[in-house]
Amino acid sequence: MDPGFISLMGIVLAIGVPIISAAITIITCGTALAGIGTERPELLSKLIITVVLGEALAIYGLLIAFMLLSKLSDITTMEAANKALISGIIIAVATISAGAGISYNGSSLIGATAEKPETFSSNVIGVVLSEALAIYGLLIAFMIIGQI
Amino acid sequence: MRKLKVITLEDDVDAVVRSLDEAGIVQFIDMREKVEEWNGILASQVVSTEVLTKCSDLLSKIDASFENLGLKHEELHSKKIPITKEPIEEVLAKVEQNLAELPVEALTKCSALTSRITQLIEILGVKPEEIKEVILKKPVEESLAEIEYELSEIEKTAETTGLIDRHAMVDRIKTVAAREEIDVHKKLAEFARVRIIESKPFFAKRLLTLKKLVEKARESIEAETKLGKTHESLLTLRKIVEIEKQVAEEQKKFVRSAKTIYFEAWVSEYNVKEAIERITKVTAGTSIVTDDPPAPDEKVPIILKPVPNYLIAFEKLVYSFGHPTSRDVNPIHALAITFPILFGIMFADVGQGAIFVIMGIILTLLRRRIKLEEVGDIIQYLLISGEMFVFLGISSIFFGFVFGEFFGPSGLIHPISLGKIGPFYIGGFEPTHEPMKMLKFAIFVGAIHISLGLVFRFVNEIRHKHYKLAPIPICWLWLLIGSLYMWAYWRGISNISKWFADGSLMLAGLIILPLTFILVFTGIAEGFMEGVGFSVEVFAETLSHSMSYSRLMALGLIHAETLSHSMSYSRLMALGLIHSAMNYLFLVLAGVEHGYFPLASIPLIAIGTLLVMIIEGLVVFVHTLRLHWVEWFSKFHTGEGIPFKPFKYT
Repeated sequence: MDPGFISLMGIVLAIGVPIISAAITIITCGTALAGIGTERPELLSKLIITVVLGEALAIYGLLIAFMLLSKLSDITTMEAANKALISGIIIAVATISAGAGISYNGSSLIGATAEKPETFSSNVIGVVLSEALAIYGLLIAFMIIGQI
Repeated sequence: MRKLKVITLEDDVDAVVRSLDEAGIVQFIDMREKVEEWNGILASQVVSTEVLTKCSDLLSKIDASFENLGLKHEELHSKKIPITKEPIEEVLAKVEQNLAELPVEALTKCSALTSRITQLIEILGVKPEEIKEVILKKPVEESLAEIEYELSEIEKTAETTGLIDRHAMVDRIKTVAAREEIDVHKKLAEFARVRIIESKPFFAKRLLTLKKLVEKARESIEAETKLGKTHESLLTLRKIVEIEKQVAEEQKKFVRSAKTIYFEAWVSEYNVKEAIERITKVTAGTSIVTDDPPAPDEKVPIILKPVPNYLIAFEKLVYSFGHPTSRDVNPIHALAITFPILFGIMFADVGQGAIFVIMGIILTLLRRRIKLEEVGDIIQYLLISGEMFVFLGISSIFFGFVFGEFFGPSGLIHPISLGKIGPFYIGGFEPTHEPMKMLKFAIFVGAIHISLGLVFRFVNEIRHKHYKLAPIPICWLWLLIGSLYMWAYWRGISNISKWFADGSLMLAGLIILPLTFILVFTGIAEGFMEGVGFSVEVFAETLSHSMSYSRLMALGLIHAETLSHSMSYSRLMALGLIHSAMNYLFLVLAGVEHGYFPLASIPLIAIGTLLVMIIEGLVVFVHTLRLHWVEWFSKFHTGEGIPFKPFKYT
């Protein structure tokens, strides 16, 4: 197969899937946030963390896609192309997992905080730990790109 | 902080609460949860719903009067409400009686008439002129009725005739004159002589007179009532009812026997004497008051010291997570230093940092002119965080120089090295070109940050007099620094086999020894089995919790996992790179090369900067917050403290 095409597939995965994960996360958490905002508007500024962390997933994908794009002219061998594809897959899988975690934990966090604001500091851990998953994937994808 | 325990007679309790409310120095403890402890000797104090309903009733009545009279709710500063010894029910009954005596209805009529007359005066374009003193000839109520009648007559005339129909006018004058007991014929003769009726001035004069009459009526109403000016008395009544309502609500926290009431309250050391004096004075000595220091593990409310203006934003960041418990280190000042540093590493950029500083200064200046209550939520947050933006901007500028970024890696500034500690380069490289150096730097910063947290933990344990627990954070610190040293000495995790072979002595001293100590000290403090349980917990936590990267690294587990757990602070690198890459994207699009910015590139760079500063800035901010809340606070700041809110009428 053509190395150029394979690396382009990597870019597609690297930008497309994180964006979908971010969208799903923002949809779940954003709607929950809107619902709570009518009852407890004072909590919104605190709970917006869920939406922002969801949005960050798309930025991670953007970073990897952008790094791959800048390396596109260097990719001539199949090995390099495979690395590009794999790094795309890694960030895709990592952001999907993180997205799933943030959507579930985030919407529960929002509901729970509206009921009992003092539980926020312990409940937020689920969201931030899910978000850390994406960072792990990002780092490994980043290191693989570094080897191209 | 001292704990007051008070036993008083049932009849005195309202007065006691009122007196303490006036002073605003105690915080009542909710006793309802503890009722079971007394095995039925004490039961919770039941405040009758009647009292509360009556309070709400009266409040809405008073509010309705305010609305009818067109008066404003002002704060009542001047008048001090005397503390009565009567029970709440009687006070409320008195308020109700006073409210009924207030001539609200008549005054409402006065205001309505005044506004009608003013309206008419405006429509007719009457100029104000001096009206000679008028006297009310009949009782106020009757006069008002007459004035109203006449006013509607004038209104009708004004509508139907437009004030030009002479015949109609003559009729009106007749009626008016008849009522005012003026000689009609004389008046009409006057008019007939003049032939032209100067109707408008006549009505104008009449209207002004009426206005004066209404004012007079109003004055006489207010003079007649015993309560002085109605506005003020309404405000006073409102305040009394509100206080009584709070007093009643607060009593729900108390417990009682058949005839006595028992309650506990927190009071600061300085005010103990005053509180006791007040209680004794009000109850005339028929109460028992003791003050004790809090029990060792009791949750004591904390008196939060006000912070200077420039720290308010950081204070909000800390308190959104939770308040420190009493005697704990309050992390606001430390956070004000570490927060900008971590933000600056991720948002390193000289140009964008400068924009932040300018924005911060503008917001700070604006805050002095704009009233915070009048603006929306988001603007309010921005205004509060004016100084914080300056802090963040300065840090961004600093790290922009360190990593050589000016609106992205444009090549205008070259990275400045601040030195090298072991394998850790502090600045002097471009993160996008040498991400591994950046990663090491990030972990180095993380280790320092976590160390600071551990030191605070140590201070907290000492302050709480948990001397047996105090060595544990120190051992963690030893472990953290030791493992970092080993990692640096043996050039990373990939040589882990050497850690065990050549460096076994070092491993024993830096890692196994502190681990053993941690086990032993936990065992001493919590009992041996808890010690073992704790170490298992730590192990499990280490596997699952990203904050414990150091612990896991220390345990020397599979290096891939160790690496993965070191990543919490590696987000410093990841987000720094993202920031750099996003800026680079716009630099490439705009065609900036080797530090040369063509004129045509400026709009594109401006758009890019705006986008980066809003989206990326928010993301970086939230990640910085997350590093503090999750990784750092988990070391020493539980956020379980209760702020001391003395009971006071608000």
